[in-house]
Amino acid sequence: MDKNSELEKEGDAFSSLWFKFRWLFVLFLLVSLAIWVMNSAIEGQWDKLFESPRNVRTFFMESLWPPDWSVLEPRAYPVCERTGWLDFTCSTAWIGVMETIKIAFSATVFGMLISYPIALLAADNLNSNWISYPARFFLAACRSLPSILWAVLFVIMVGLGPMAGIMAMTIYTVGYLGKLQYETIEGVAKPQLDASKAMGHGWLERSFGVVLPEAANGLISQAIFMFEYNFRHGTVIGIVGAGGIGYYINLYLEFLQYDKVFAYVIVIFVVVLILDTISKLTRSLFNDEKYNKRHSWWSIFLPAAMVNHPEEK
Amino acid sequence: MGDYDSITITNASVGYSKDEPLIQGISLTLKPGDIVAINGVSGIGKTTLLKTLAGLVRPINGDVTIFGNKKAKRGEVGYIPQRLGLIRNSTVHHNVILGAMAGHTKPWFPFSRDTKIHTKKAIEAMGIESKTRVQVGKLSGGQQRRVAIARTLAQEPKLILADEFLAELDEETLTKVMDVVLDYVKKKNAIMILVEHDLSRAEKMATRILTAENGKLVEN
Repeated sequence: MDKNSELEKEGDAFSSLWFKFRWLFVLFLLVSLAIWVMNSAIEGQWDKLFESPRNVRTFFMESLWPPDWSVLEPRAYPVCERTGWLDFTCSTAWIGVMETIKIAFSATVFGMLISYPIALLAADNLNSNWISYPARFFLAACRSLPSILWAVLFVIMVGLGPMAGIMAMTIYTVGYLGKLQYETIEGVAKPQLDASKAMGHGWLERSFGVVLPEAANGLISQAIFMFEYNFRHGTVIGIVGAGGIGYYINLYLEFLQYDKVFAYVIVIFVVVLILDTISKLTRSLFNDEKYNKRHSWWSIFLPAAMVNHPEEK
Repeated sequence: MGDYDSITITNASVGYSKDEPLIQGISLTLKPGDIVAINGVSGIGKTTLLKTLAGLVRPINGDVTIFGNKKAKRGEVGYIPQRLGLIRNSTVHHNVILGAMAGHTKPWFPFSRDTKIHTKKAIEAMGIESKTRVQVGKLSGGQQRRVAIARTLAQEPKLILADEFLAELDEETLTKVMDVVLDYVKKKNAIMILVEHDLSRAEKMATRILTAENGKLVEN
């Protein structure tokens, strides 16, 4: 074997090794870069990180544990008119959770209704760039601020309370859901749109008669996800006075009653789990073709899964 | 402006790039009652020609005049794409009524009692009335094909563009569907252009057969 072929063989072995482990190398580079950037951000104060477990343990044992479940007891004022096991519905936890759910629900419904027409304009398979770009710009503007900052703005505009929360969450829902919606609309298969264009359907017929039913399963699934998302964020916007359970959390944070705050956090966690399960079950209805019922005139606007009659199963 | 009853293609080239036209120098005049079958190997440009006539793709050069206009008016063209273009989440009724809406209503008010009548008739003609309320996605390939044809029949177009629309049909259904479509073209004096690979079937249906080969459309 001459020297050249030996070198060639070595080169081949190196490239094969590189090919096998290239992702590992990229990952190593990425993590090293992140550590370097983090080091520069924290100015080398790594000792804070190593002290944190002790701090967390002290905070947890002395301030959080055990959670103060009095948040599930009826408030002293106004006097609770419900008796027996229903009296927990007069508690701040229940009132806060219900208010947050109401804010999330209203904001999701209003946001969805506003965002769909805008998403139709933003979809580039339905419109020219002259129309789709301004619509996308508007949606991007709506989601450029997180809902908590919108909440601050609306608290200034309409005052403290759920109204500001609903308005803030609606604006954010329009921006976020609108983006998901126009991406779904752009995913509608071409033959469906081609057939509609060739027939001479107008923009309205194409949008509501073809695109909406074709993309409906995805759109509904996204709206349900958005409701879940809005509930989680609804707990945060209360902190700036926009209503919901966040208001109570903020109140007890100010008085350093962390055990009560912890009880609220557990309540929120349980509600999120419940909503997550309901959301999963509901979404499965729209992703499954087993629901096939009788059509009605409004099957023009909705998928068969939503409007069919049980006899036709 | 050309003849308001016919379709005229003058020295047109179709394709997606000026540098690589798929079919060139197409000159064709189609009169009411004409049924033209186009065959040729895959990728030669048959579907692109149909899309050009449907107004979905612009001709690279030359003129295409559909019933006297550069572009067909609402409801004049019924198009059955190769992949059918049906809304799988929706019922058969919904899909067919979309055709009826295009053919019998105005775009600013696409509702009329007539659309229901045309929809019912077309569904019955295709023998799928028992499936009216069934989601299209649950139907077999052949049944879906009949839904796409029913959509076009409900529309009552002057020009039918059908891309391999008889595929996946069993012999008995195929004869029935073919008869219904031929009967429609005869009664309404419509024009039909179909892409058909099966030559014997094309001979049965068409008054003219064209073959796309070597970038040209040749009359057999």
